[in-house]
Amino acid sequence: MAEDLVLDTAIRDWVLIPLSVVMVLIGILRYFVSKLMRSSPTPDAKMVKEGQVVIRARNLKVGANFIPPRSFRTRRFYFTNEENGLLHVPKGEATNPQAAMFSDPNMAMDMMKKNLSMIIPQTLTFAWVNFFFSGFVAAKIPFPLTQRFRSMLQNGIDLSTVDVSYVSSRSWYFLNLFGLRGLFSLILGDENAIDDTQRMMQMGGFGFDASKSLGAEKDGLDIIQHEWALPRFEQRAESVLRKLVK
Amino acid sequence: MVTKTEETELNQLENQVENGGGGVWEYLSLVRKLKVRRSEIVLKHGLSILNDPGKRSALGPDEWTLYEQVAIAAMDCQSLNVAQNCIKVLKKKFPESKRVGKLEALLLEAKGMWEEAEKAYTSLLEDNPLDQVIHKRKVAMAKAQGKPSLAIEHLNKYLEVFMADHDAWRELAEIYVSLQMYKQAAFCYEELILTQPTLPLYHLAYADVLYTIGGLENLIAARKYYAATIDLTGGKSTRALLGICLCGSAIAQLSKGRNKEDKDMAAPELQSLAATALEREYKQKAPAKLNLLSSALRSLKISS
Repeated sequence: MAEDLVLDTAIRDWVLIPLSVVMVLIGILRYFVSKLMRSSPTPDAKMVKEGQVVIRARNLKVGANFIPPRSFRTRRFYFTNEENGLLHVPKGEATNPQAAMFSDPNMAMDMMKKNLSMIIPQTLTFAWVNFFFSGFVAAKIPFPLTQRFRSMLQNGIDLSTVDVSYVSSRSWYFLNLFGLRGLFSLILGDENAIDDTQRMMQMGGFGFDASKSLGAEKDGLDIIQHEWALPRFEQRAESVLRKLVK
Repeated sequence: MVTKTEETELNQLENQVENGGGGVWEYLSLVRKLKVRRSEIVLKHGLSILNDPGKRSALGPDEWTLYEQVAIAAMDCQSLNVAQNCIKVLKKKFPESKRVGKLEALLLEAKGMWEEAEKAYTSLLEDNPLDQVIHKRKVAMAKAQGKPSLAIEHLNKYLEVFMADHDAWRELAEIYVSLQMYKQAAFCYEELILTQPTLPLYHLAYADVLYTIGGLENLIAARKYYAATIDLTGGKSTRALLGICLCGSAIAQLSKGRNKEDKDMAAPELQSLAATALEREYKQKAPAKLNLLSSALRSLKISS
């Protein structure tokens, strides 16, 4: 193994600490900016109703055995009939969430705002880090790590001989980006903490496809075998009472 | 729902506050959080904070929340002047706020100025047609004016959108029962049983409605739901026990002359067990009324 690299204390004073401080400040700034830009979402009546229909249908599915057979059948018909059942989605009308997004400028606008407040500062800071601090080692972790961590800790240094416990400045930036969440929730309060990782997930699976969940509930209701649970309860009540009387 | 631990905490704090101890603000916060109705105490102690400028400004931005809370409590206690003052302060601070608008409408309602309140609510609904609270206020107003059919109309409109709101279903069921529209009430209770299948109260209410509608099929179903109530309460529900007895005798009367082989119809054992359990309970808790019970049971031809 090569000898230990000696890190200049100036690196600590001028790279490591400033980088962390800047990341924290940017995070706080971004929180206030996004708070300014946030528009309270006005729910759409149709969306609300669809959500409620799904809940009610789910209740029906779970509690089906507790109501008399006739009541169950009328309810199922109400939900699933092919003409105007609540859960029935006509083929043509099944809206694609993406299409809906483009047709509704507000929604697209909202998403843009969200993304802008996330992407712009991130690209800027990344460019800044890349420009000023690229390509050198900024810190050393006090314990050894396996080779697999190389891509995580030594981003930006293409040397395979450097021990993995050295952290490059760009990697330090990434570690800060994802690791400061706890600090933000301390500073800004629990719910207010901006959560980059979560936002990235949201970006992937955006949009709640109502017609799909409606369809799923419809299928679920259609295949239920109704078996009234109440006749059994008479026997159970008898045994309860017998125990009580004894 | 308020859990047991939360309730004990609340009662403890209430005791402390009532006896002059500290923790008034904590108590008020807890009342808000649990959404319980302790208007008199809230009014008394909330007002004492609001009247003390030092304490009031110590709250910071929560001061306005307290104004709102006290205003609502004051309306509940018919101290309309206090409510009016609170709302005035809020209005000054938040001139455009919808939330203050709601309070103003509520005050109109509390004063019994129905038409003005109705107008205010309608204009608030135009801004946000999906405001559940306002819809519910409209129902409450219809009820307060003694127009149950109007309340039903509002509730139905509300439930068309918010169909998973079981409190609304329950309200609707109770209004239907009060108007003797039992078939509709039965539907609502079915809906309630679906949302919370393990809650005995709904089973009991549904059974009552079915029994009231009458007819052999409904009576048999009613007995089953009474049985379910007994099972879910562990036999502690006197009403359900009595219901079993009543159903039994009604079924026996209706099915007289029909063939008795139908297993569904007669459940003699359940009936006699229910009667014995009732007698036991009366013996333990109200021995003076045991005679009444046994004569009632005798008239139902259950106990010999």
